[in-house]
Amino acid sequence: MQILLILIVVLGGMGLSVEAGLLGPLGGQVGELWATLSIFGVGAALTFFLMLFFSPRNSPSFFSQPPLLLVGGILGPIYVVVLTVVTPVIGVAMTMIGILAGQISKSLIIDHYGLFGTTERKIDNKRIIALVFIIAALFFMAKG
Amino acid sequence: MMLILMIVLAIIGGAALSVQAALNGRLGGNVGVFKSAFLTFSVGALVTALLIFFFEPNHSVTLMDVPKWQLLGALCGVPYIVIMVVAVQRIGTAVATVAVIFGQLSMSVLIDNFGWLGNEVITLSGSRIAALVCLAIALYFIYSSNKSEPKAA
Repeated sequence: MQILLILIVVLGGMGLSVEAGLLGPLGGQVGELWATLSIFGVGAALTFFLMLFFSPRNSPSFFSQPPLLLVGGILGPIYVVVLTVVTPVIGVAMTMIGILAGQISKSLIIDHYGLFGTTERKIDNKRIIALVFIIAALFFMAKG
Repeated sequence: MMLILMIVLAIIGGAALSVQAALNGRLGGNVGVFKSAFLTFSVGALVTALLIFFFEPNHSVTLMDVPKWQLLGALCGVPYIVIMVVAVQRIGTAVATVAVIFGQLSMSVLIDNFGWLGNEVITLSGSRIAALVCLAIALYFIYSSNKSEPKAA
């Protein structure tokens, strides 16, 4: 059971790379922003149905939430546009490693100061070491 | 120079993704995961549509002209959201994080190596393998960091 779940999560991660792999060439043909719209348009339709049928019936309204919590949607396009622009130039793998480096740096900076309402966590040595190795990986990838 | 710019862009993208994940995690806790995912995608679609209206130059090829499989990117991204919700509770953040990154990296190396989905071929060289070794070590440290702090994302 555990193994099966882990395999499914691995497949989920593979899906993210396939998404990036589809976006690069698509952006080259129809333009980066149109390619991004294809992701968010189809994604909005899919998640609308998921929300409609599987959301808890009595979940609170968006309008009862602090506005800051709702700006995630503005940040999403940054990520997708970046994928579309960057993958054709440096390849899917290096893009993914760059994304990973950004995520880890974020967890060092945001969590350290508890920004954006996250719980404050002091800088963790293990994450710094992880970041160093990710940067080394970027370096090796760039070498070819 | 171009290369460095692109890597910096990718890092910015990753940071944006992370901030988004942090916000969505909290929003999802309040209103439910599907509702917060829907908000992300619909606001994302609106922002992108606005940007298109004002900034996108004309292209001779439109989304309607490309083969339909090229439009399936979201079908690969949305399951990830659902899978993580289901899996994190059962296998824990540490294992789930490592499994996702493992899947991302192995698939991206395959796509590059074979030039799948219309991408340029970038063959798996010695230094690419060295990069993967570095990542395996990084993954180990991410795992142990998440493990000692079960709430970390």
